[in-house]
Amino acid sequence: MRIQVRRTGGFGGIERRGEVDTSARPDAHEWHALAERVVADGRRTPKSGVPDGFHYEITVDGKTVYTADPSLTEEQRTLIQRVLKEGA
Amino acid sequence: MTTHGGFEPVFCTIVPPHVLDKLAQHEDPALAGPARETLQRDAYERTHRRLTTVLGAPTLAAPTETDKPRRTIYDAKHKQDLPGKKVRAEGSDPGKDATVNRAYAGLGATFELYLNAFNRHSIDGEGLPLNASVHYDVNYDNAFWNGEQMVFGDGDGELFLDFTIPVDVIGHELTHGVTQYTANLTYFGQSGALNESISDVFGSLIKQYSLGQTAAEADWLIGAGLLAPRVTGVALRSMKAPGTAYDDDALGKDPQPATMDGFIKTGRDNGGVHLNSGIPNHAFYLVADALGGHAWEKAGQIWYDVLTGGELKKDALFTDFATLTVAAAKTRFGDGGEELQAVQKAWEQVGVPTS
Repeated sequence: MRIQVRRTGGFGGIERRGEVDTSARPDAHEWHALAERVVADGRRTPKSGVPDGFHYEITVDGKTVYTADPSLTEEQRTLIQRVLKEGA
Repeated sequence: MTTHGGFEPVFCTIVPPHVLDKLAQHEDPALAGPARETLQRDAYERTHRRLTTVLGAPTLAAPTETDKPRRTIYDAKHKQDLPGKKVRAEGSDPGKDATVNRAYAGLGATFELYLNAFNRHSIDGEGLPLNASVHYDVNYDNAFWNGEQMVFGDGDGELFLDFTIPVDVIGHELTHGVTQYTANLTYFGQSGALNESISDVFGSLIKQYSLGQTAAEADWLIGAGLLAPRVTGVALRSMKAPGTAYDDDALGKDPQPATMDGFIKTGRDNGGVHLNSGIPNHAFYLVADALGGHAWEKAGQIWYDVLTGGELKKDALFTDFATLTVAAAKTRFGDGGEELQAVQKAWEQVGVPTS
């Protein structure tokens, strides 16, 4: 499974991306469960968010969902943090 | 399930949201683009209406127009729950936390500029209490205005330091509140870039006012002191020279254009609101530089008159805003004056027509 996160906006307007390919990872099933829940619960169109808030595009195997600060779900937050940290 | 919230079903639009949802996913960008934009605007409107309802209450309950700010600083304690624990109230002595003290002082500096330069009582013009939460989340590289209060992250320490360090960042966030209560520029595309630019303009003026600087003495930077020592750059944006604030291995290069020739068309960042804001930012700098002296007295006054004058539409384009600044310069400082000339010349230089 290929999980990509693109973060745009924010006060600085600086884009950040991360990508994790779970195929060779020992904790793959954990990633899959989290990513599937995020995609299933996510919205398919961009969200307007708040001034200077971060915007996120989460793409799992080609399927993209959108979210924005400060209203992330706990699952979205966890996935975003992990992908931006481990897949930078 | 989505994060629309409970107010979604009562929201009325001509085109039903599910049709827009479908269109937004259409292969043809000509169909998908406008649908996406509409959905974004709708979401913004819903949020705004909800916020107006929420924000209306305290103003009605306590219609005070005082010459003193009413500040409260909260500590989010590295979590995301807002506002967090109250750590400093108006009039109390500084504590040990420098971040809390900086936020408190920055809120005060913002209140002072709006009151003394423009006779505006707080964010809403009616003495609205000023609330800010610091230490939001962990290693959080951002600051934002959530419609009701300011929120500041500590930065990750590698690329960004504490977001309360630059007073112009504090002024920038609070000015989003001022815009929300006045022209309420839609946070998308050109009107969104104008919204961003107004926050940079007044954020910079707040710094200049608190330091007593003239236009020639000011650095015209947004976020000076925010970048960690290892980053190659001086700030996040430069109004004097957009596109030159940083050029770094990790952050990339400052992408801001200074003129319409470099206008960036993108769907990201709400249609490039933090990118194209470089154009009106630079126009403001050119006016202030041409007129000299304290920038809030003339250039700032013209911009403030447009923001609060009631004629600036929510979906204004750069040219709409520019045209109104020309009219405001005439009304405020007279026809044929140096102020009018400076405004016309500045917009011409950045490639925005003023009629």
